[in-house]
Amino acid sequence: MTDLAGASPRPEQLSDEHPKFVPGQPDMWMFVLFETLLFTGYFSVYLVSRTQDREAFLGAQADLDLRVGVFNTIALLLSSWAIAGCVQAARNGDYPSALKKAFLTATFGVVFLVSKIVEWVRETRMGNTFTSDEFFSHYYFLTSIHCIHLLIGFVVLGVVIYQLRSPARRSQQLVETGATYWHTVDFLWVLIFALLYVVR
Amino acid sequence: MTTAFNKRLLIVWVILTSLTLIYVVIDRSVDGGTLRASTVVTVSAIVIALVKVRIIFREFMEVRHAPALLRRITDGWVVLVGVCLLGSYFVGSAIAP
Repeated sequence: MTDLAGASPRPEQLSDEHPKFVPGQPDMWMFVLFETLLFTGYFSVYLVSRTQDREAFLGAQADLDLRVGVFNTIALLLSSWAIAGCVQAARNGDYPSALKKAFLTATFGVVFLVSKIVEWVRETRMGNTFTSDEFFSHYYFLTSIHCIHLLIGFVVLGVVIYQLRSPARRSQQLVETGATYWHTVDFLWVLIFALLYVVR
Repeated sequence: MTTAFNKRLLIVWVILTSLTLIYVVIDRSVDGGTLRASTVVTVSAIVIALVKVRIIFREFMEVRHAPALLRRITDGWVVLVGVCLLGSYFVGSAIAP
């Protein structure tokens, strides 16, 4: 019997101009999904906690400057935009451009890190420390654990840059894997920003 | 082709940044000096953040070119995170003293 279903291509394969591929190593995707779940657990604890004592949380939250959070977010979105451009440049064989964009990614990452440290110093001087109240315990916990991920991101970017510099070492899969990690640092911050600075 | 791709990435960045700036508008419109509890602001903040996360998955992380399995898993993850966050907020509100 002739297998008609197997012989005819599926419509979605015909309509899509790009071949289907998993960006980077599948292992990194497992890590991304796991990390997202872990952070979601922290977020849930934070949201339940703040509903139990809204006034105390709102009072402490008033000391955070939304503009700093917006600046942080835009800096990380710029870094994500740069690393996405790096992946595309490397795929097209334009390695000088890819390298430039990887450095640009690191630069925006440093801008984020410096502004976060400035904010920590400012809050500490205002008397808002890890132990001063529940809101700031969550604030320091979430922002510092995110910053550890950012620092690991710099190591990942270092590996990407090291690979891109020599034709003998270049690996598109490794560049995509590094980018996938970096974007995760970005979208986790998008969630942290909304929860710490905007939620009421 | 490279230029077209880069233009798309730039548009994505502009959309993500605009969604971030909406928070400033929300913030200014609800509070007159002191912060007040608001379910509308909380739900809007979480939903906007989830929309941004999905855009980052689809565009920056190139999931739109990925096999259907990864597309479905990442979409499922966005929904799962949303259910956990909104669920925690509403359950927490319901059991609050």
